[in-house]
Amino acid sequence: MENLIANFNYVIVVILMMIGLWSMLAQKNLIKKCIGMAILQTGIILFFISIGAKNNALIPILTEAAYSDPDVATVANPLTQILMLTAIVVGVATLGVGLGLAQKIYHQHSSFDEDEILENQRK
Amino acid sequence: MMPSLPIWQFDVLLLVLVVLFAVVALSIRNLMGAAVVFGAYSFMMCLIWAGMGAVDVAFTEAAVGAGVSTVFIVSTIYNTSATMRSRPGGIAFKLFIGVVVTLAGVFLLSALPDFPDWGDPNSPANATVAPYYIENSIRDTHVPNLVTSVLADYRGFDTLLETIVVFIACIAIYSILRIETAKSKTDEPEEDTATAPPSYDPSDSLIVRQASRFMVPFMQLFALYVIAHGHYSPGGGFQGGVILGASLILLAISFDLKFILRQWREKPLMLLVASGVCLYATVGLACMFTGGNYLDYGSLDSVLPNDRAMARSHGILLVEIGVGITVMFSMLAIHINLASNGRFDRGL
Amino acid sequence: MEILAYILISTGLIFFLGTTIGLLRFPDFYSRMHAASKGDTLSTVLILLGCICLVSTQGEMNWLLGLKILLIINFIFIGSPTATHAMMDAGNKAGAEPWKKDSE
Repeated sequence: MENLIANFNYVIVVILMMIGLWSMLAQKNLIKKCIGMAILQTGIILFFISIGAKNNALIPILTEAAYSDPDVATVANPLTQILMLTAIVVGVATLGVGLGLAQKIYHQHSSFDEDEILENQRK
Repeated sequence: MMPSLPIWQFDVLLLVLVVLFAVVALSIRNLMGAAVVFGAYSFMMCLIWAGMGAVDVAFTEAAVGAGVSTVFIVSTIYNTSATMRSRPGGIAFKLFIGVVVTLAGVFLLSALPDFPDWGDPNSPANATVAPYYIENSIRDTHVPNLVTSVLADYRGFDTLLETIVVFIACIAIYSILRIETAKSKTDEPEEDTATAPPSYDPSDSLIVRQASRFMVPFMQLFALYVIAHGHYSPGGGFQGGVILGASLILLAISFDLKFILRQWREKPLMLLVASGVCLYATVGLACMFTGGNYLDYGSLDSVLPNDRAMARSHGILLVEIGVGITVMFSMLAIHINLASNGRFDRGL
Repeated sequence: MEILAYILISTGLIFFLGTTIGLLRFPDFYSRMHAASKGDTLSTVLILLGCICLVSTQGEMNWLLGLKILLIINFIFIGSPTATHAMMDAGNKAGAEPWKKDSE
């Protein structure tokens, strides 16, 4: 049980990634697929942020007292945070591209449903 | 070993809630409802990140994940339809995918004992290069917000390319959705600006219009503060740019798309999106001309007044402004494209 | 000052509880929105006032922090009722039926 709590973040990461992956593969609706992609993405972001978290650490903004000699153990890891900060913004841009594609497909086939789109194409 | 993050029970509760929200967002039949629940999911994520000490990430998520991406989904649904057609069958397929995904998950979970504990300060990710940034940021750049200094200075190449990715996504949406409406333009009579009807749908609520008219200047002022004060507090080009874009999107929603299109025409909009990236790249080139490496702002001290560390601080500010411009206008351009279905005339 | 802060915050939490119960128990869209918006605005403002009382006891730049929280209160006071109004309007346009006594 203690082991589970100590690794609880990884369990949630894996569950979120499973949910996102399942929705991308199994859902027929294109918008739901896009939302599933975003959930998969937040799962990965959670993985990075939680390995960068430190016990008893503060936010990665130094106080004036710590300017000359900052204590590494009391400051959270800034590196994983900046990687994920940019990933979030890029994530919303790619979500926009996905939604744009879905919208274009809807106006061609007047449906978000994958099966109906395939049927339409075969005609 | 039990983790002793500030309040780890709180984190555990939020993590469970996040999984619930994810399941609900995917199981709701109405797409509009799914979009709203997805926004709530993003807010939960934002709380988790603030709890883990990642304030800048939480800020970005609150502005981007909960704000702008929900608007994108809603404006897509506005142009299409919110109902999902239910059709029988397909259970076997879904179960099969479920089994495959569960196997993948079990495979990932089997590596669980090899991971460092949650919040371990000596884990490889925390003990290799990150301590250098923490110890030297003040001496090298005079920037106490480590996220800003790592984002724009130590890892400037990363950020440059991420900004370019946002720019490319904006161009991709243009090439997917944009439709020329030259034909319909000639059909419509030229609008006389003096007697033109109000540029918004008068059936819209006056209260919403006035409230957003009051709020937008403050939002933009706050966004500029976030960009300029990002050296000392959470914030920076990405967050400020997204808030600026969101303020314009708020105007576009509460008035009408025409109202915003009258101020931001298509060509200047795309020029501005490109100019942000150009500003970033130009700062990098300026560093080369003053004798340093690409994006090595320290060499700018020959043109800027103060010492090397201060020159790096100023370089970070210039770069953040470039990032802010690109992000702001690409968010606005993506929203206009999605909301007007690429026609740039009317929409949400 | 701290005691005042705790009183304000717990009052705000009690109002939040009332809001949640109202949101779950009221019969139709309009009365639910009524409960959600009023209780939500009031309790958020109370909790933020409590936060002002808390920060006023610590640090030397506390007046600046208090001013920032006051600005947040200002915007919540404008934004939240406007959002409620927009949602009510949308509900009215979409044809949500108000609850009547005999439609039990």
